[in-house]
Amino acid sequence: MFKTIFFSLLTMYATSALAQSAQEIVAAADKLRNAEQPSRSTLTLTEYVSGQERSHSAFVLFSKEDSAGNFRNLLQYVEPPRDAGKRVLLDGRSFWFFDPASQSSVRISAQQRLVGQAAIGDVLTVNLAVDYSAILLSTESIDDAARQKRTCWHLELRAATETAVYNRVEYWVEQGTFRPVKGKFYSDSGRLLKIIYYRNYIERLGAVRPAESVIIDAVDSTLATIAVFNESRFQEVPDAWFQRDYLPRLQIR
Amino acid sequence: MRLAAFWFATLGLAGAAVAADEDKDLELIPKSGAAAPREEVASPISRGNQRVFLENALTFTTLRDNLLVPQPPPLPPSWDERLLADARLEYPLAPNAFVAYSGRLNFVLQDDLGFPNRGNVNNDLRELYASVEPSPRVYLDAGRINVKSGVALGFNPTDYFKTFAVIDPLTADPSVLRENRLGTLMLRTQRVGETGSISALYAPKVTDPSPVAEDPYRGFNPLFGRTNGTNRWLVKASQKLSEELSPEALMYHQGNQWMFGTNLTTSVGQSVVAYLEWSGGRQLGIIDAALAFGRETGTIPPLVPDVITQGGDEHFQSQVTVGVSYTTENKITFNLEYQYNQAGFSRSDWDRWFALGQGRPDSSPIVRQLWYIRSYANDVQEPLQRQGIFLRADWVDFIVPKLELTGFVLVDAQDGSALMQLEADYARTDLWTFGVLAGGTTGGRRSNFGSLPRSNSILFKVMRYF
Repeated sequence: MFKTIFFSLLTMYATSALAQSAQEIVAAADKLRNAEQPSRSTLTLTEYVSGQERSHSAFVLFSKEDSAGNFRNLLQYVEPPRDAGKRVLLDGRSFWFFDPASQSSVRISAQQRLVGQAAIGDVLTVNLAVDYSAILLSTESIDDAARQKRTCWHLELRAATETAVYNRVEYWVEQGTFRPVKGKFYSDSGRLLKIIYYRNYIERLGAVRPAESVIIDAVDSTLATIAVFNESRFQEVPDAWFQRDYLPRLQIR
Repeated sequence: MRLAAFWFATLGLAGAAVAADEDKDLELIPKSGAAAPREEVASPISRGNQRVFLENALTFTTLRDNLLVPQPPPLPPSWDERLLADARLEYPLAPNAFVAYSGRLNFVLQDDLGFPNRGNVNNDLRELYASVEPSPRVYLDAGRINVKSGVALGFNPTDYFKTFAVIDPLTADPSVLRENRLGTLMLRTQRVGETGSISALYAPKVTDPSPVAEDPYRGFNPLFGRTNGTNRWLVKASQKLSEELSPEALMYHQGNQWMFGTNLTTSVGQSVVAYLEWSGGRQLGIIDAALAFGRETGTIPPLVPDVITQGGDEHFQSQVTVGVSYTTENKITFNLEYQYNQAGFSRSDWDRWFALGQGRPDSSPIVRQLWYIRSYANDVQEPLQRQGIFLRADWVDFIVPKLELTGFVLVDAQDGSALMQLEADYARTDLWTFGVLAGGTTGGRRSNFGSLPRSNSILFKVMRYF
């Protein structure tokens, strides 16, 4: 009887500790992916169809963490030429798309930021620990993008806020280094939408961080995008930048 | 934490089986996209806001031949070939100042224009202005500027500078019409604060207003008569009230007319955005406003009486667009809007319009006046219908990646007639885009869109970006 009670209490405590620690693992991985200070980077996206390079785009990204730990992002396309000058503001639940051709700003939904010219929700700085609650599923040894074996925590993340882009995420984080290795992202209906590998860890924004993400379209697996961070640097980004009326004023010289 | 580590270790033993299934995903990584060398590489951002492209657009149009009220010439050409050189450029003057240019050079051939002809070449000077930021986020702008307001897609009641600004549109899609419109000569100042923004602008009268009819021989005329034919000013302010709500308020003055407006948007769940745009003020109905403008510009002789009126007096009238956008997991975005223009045609206005014009020749002064009203409404970008339903769908990556399908239908809620368009654009490469656009109108002979001369049209285009 006492044994049963003891093990029950131990299990409860351990479960609680695990839940806390799974969240801590995700938070530690977030800190590796993203700098806590405001920054500016150039992000290039190369799209592949059946392994062949199909198109190329690039944008300048300004990121800043708010007091709640969410990232506010402001970006401007510089490539391809037809999209140059288009801007996107992603701030909490407020998303705006600005087209200099029409000088108009259009509010977009969380879903719409994942399609077309605003299809950048996957690669932008986002703190998963803020938007998702995590549990530990197991420890697994998987290959990273360079086919190196990594012993990882296999975590399951469930959307905990309305700003979460995906309903559920499977996440592999390397033990010891807290480096994110891989993520699988699911829709509300449980459909696997995207697979992301994080790779090419380099010194960037004051720490060793992944400079590349390989984003595989799980719905049409012939499609893949490689996102590369370049020219990252810390930069003061005023709060005033993160509003619709600033979009037409952004200058990226 | 130690206990947690113990349990991680325990779980690790339990789940020690190598996740072989996961490694299959590696086969999906493009082989040619090998990881970059372990150092950062520079990428050019010199393009900035600039965009330059060449476009060739060939349009064929079929006309109705059984109109109850015939439209006076010139009718829309049956074919129209355009080669466009379009540029949007910025030149920095200082770290806090730049000059911006936006314009389009058109080479035009039409079935009734002839070649060579001075109407074959014309230029649209959309924008040319200087901007300076004397202190952080305080801006002063001077020159020809395209000022756009509003959050709706199909009809923007608060977009006060849309009037007479659209020239030679290649599309009927109202959300795209803003792309080749003329700016207005103005002085503008704006301050962007931490949670809001306020701007004020003054656009002086620099010449007499131009008549409605488009001049095919405009050449390099900047057409200030279309944009600066009267003194205008606008003040607008927005304030963030919550993460969801940043309403915008506008106050506009033109001649002796005051207009007030507001814009509201909010997101609803993950996939829906709702929006409301309202403008109101004392104004004439669209018929009386058109005829008054016709007399002011000399298009309608002073001694010719008005054949139709909506009372001839100003009273407070509203224009409203309320709508939602919805994006599906399949990358389709729908916009559904209800549009209301109190100054538009009532059913009885339509009845009188058709009764007055029916059976008369296109040379009749009455018919000319009736069609002038419609041309005026088109030029000031105001819906003629009092109530409209607008549905637009945009499907990104339709069937194949980079093929975008866009369609819309605008229905006159009073008579059921409709304006429709379907467009497919294929970005073959980062530099080349090919497109086809088909449009048309449907409705009875006594309906808004069914009484237009343009029945169907199809446009083929190719664009090369630089």
